Amino acid sequence: MKLTGFIIPIVLGVTWEAVVQSGLATGRLMPPPSHLLHSAAALAASGELWTHVAATMTRIGLGFLFGAAAGTALGVLTGASGLALRLLDPSIQALRAIPSLAWVPLFILWLGIFETSKLALIAMGVFFPVYLGVLSAIQNVDRKLIEVGRVFGLSSTGIALRITGPAVLPVWFAALRTGLGLGFMFVVAAELMGASEGLGYMLLDGQQMGRADTILVAMIVFALLGKACDSILVAISIPVLRWQDTARATL
Amino acid sequence: MTNLAIDHVGKTYADGTEALRDIQVHAAEGEIVAILGGSGCGKTTLLRLVAGLDTPSTGTISVGGQAIGAVFQEPRLLPWLKIGANIAFGGQRLDPAERARRTSALIERIGLSGYDHRWPRDLSGGQSQRVAIARALIGHPGVLLLDEPFSALDPFTRASLHALVLDLWKELRPTILMVTHDVDEAVTLADRIVVMKPRPGRVHESIQVDMPRPRDKLSSAFELMKRRAMRAIDRSLADDRPTGPRAFGPGGTSPWL
Repeated sequence: MKLTGFIIPIVLGVTWEAVVQSGLATGRLMPPPSHLLHSAAALAASGELWTHVAATMTRIGLGFLFGAAAGTALGVLTGASGLALRLLDPSIQALRAIPSLAWVPLFILWLGIFETSKLALIAMGVFFPVYLGVLSAIQNVDRKLIEVGRVFGLSSTGIALRITGPAVLPVWFAALRTGLGLGFMFVVAAELMGASEGLGYMLLDGQQMGRADTILVAMIVFALLGKACDSILVAISIPVLRWQDTARATL
Repeated sequence: MTNLAIDHVGKTYADGTEALRDIQVHAAEGEIVAILGGSGCGKTTLLRLVAGLDTPSTGTISVGGQAIGAVFQEPRLLPWLKIGANIAFGGQRLDPAERARRTSALIERIGLSGYDHRWPRDLSGGQSQRVAIARALIGHPGVLLLDEPFSALDPFTRASLHALVLDLWKELRPTILMVTHDVDEAVTLADRIVVMKPRPGRVHESIQVDMPRPRDKLSSAFELMKRRAMRAIDRSLADDRPTGPRAFGPGGTSPWL
């Protein structure tokens, strides 16, 4: 069943391989799979690929951590306190209306062209979906379950920890996944705007050197890393969300 | 001895809707009082006030500082807790060992042994309501509130839950305040039926149900009691009707007779 999804990529890959091998096309701008594998192996063997992967993953990791922490904290704050909501939410929503990439020049001006401005951009990309997810999840907790906590004598802290918390958890994980996806998007933007290493730099380097294979290898590595990170989040969430009564056919 | 005292309670919402007016209900220790009325007569509002989920606009409610247990119209189990933990949730004030002991005893009592580690999603409506009843009683509350907890169930399940509640009541003797719109249910369970009338919710009259338990639904005494309750409901509605020809039969005869 799961293998059905591989049919189209494999057919396309094999066909393109055959076309290039038979000399009908050069494959310079669109290298065939064998060529890509060869390039990837060479980049991996020289250690170059790992340097780029490590740089990108460090940025994603830190940016995601800051963005998710800030989004969760502010979401909890505005979700828990009406005053904080009225005070902070309008400003946050106004900032959200600015396309995140519009911040790039300002971040560079404020924070320099090195790591800090990149982390700030990634963190901001992660922040908004997490903030919105946590806030709306808290606002949408079933009033009837809160009442159960009140009838059985829970304090407001008890209700927050034992009812609101668990009720918000599924949305929180979903928001983290969205945030992670945006984190990957913004790390590319951050690395394209000036970096000496990272997968985004590889993309730019491939373009300037006319090496389509380098670009494609970076793109494939991005896809694999993104999927792997998302799967890690899902794997963490599964034991915590086992109680859910939902159709969970695909992950 | 009065155990639950609702004195001159009124509730008017912020938008000006008067939901309850001058409600006066007292319940003795271990008494089962059924609040009977149609929708809109404020019976659920009254229960929410007693549960402390809302505050009365006027009057006072006293449960003498006792613990309260409640079963709602829906089971309201916490979906992220297993069955055992859901029952234990009702015993916040118990020490862990006692809580665990009572939980396993109650699981047995409600006929769900072996379900400790199942999730609420695995239960039927009747089973979920059994768990909700166990959760409400694990803390041995002095007052048990039942907000039409059987209304969504089929007649067979409802009868078995009536039996379960009476069974547990015999053992723990909580004062029970239940609201229902089902005359049959009120006569089956209650020592006293308080008929309410709507808009705003007021107490219309109170009927003592002096019948030994278990009550035989096929007996003529049961039938008579049901008729008394139904007549009281009719009177409560008739009072509200504008003057002029009565809607039901000559001279306001009950539509039920």
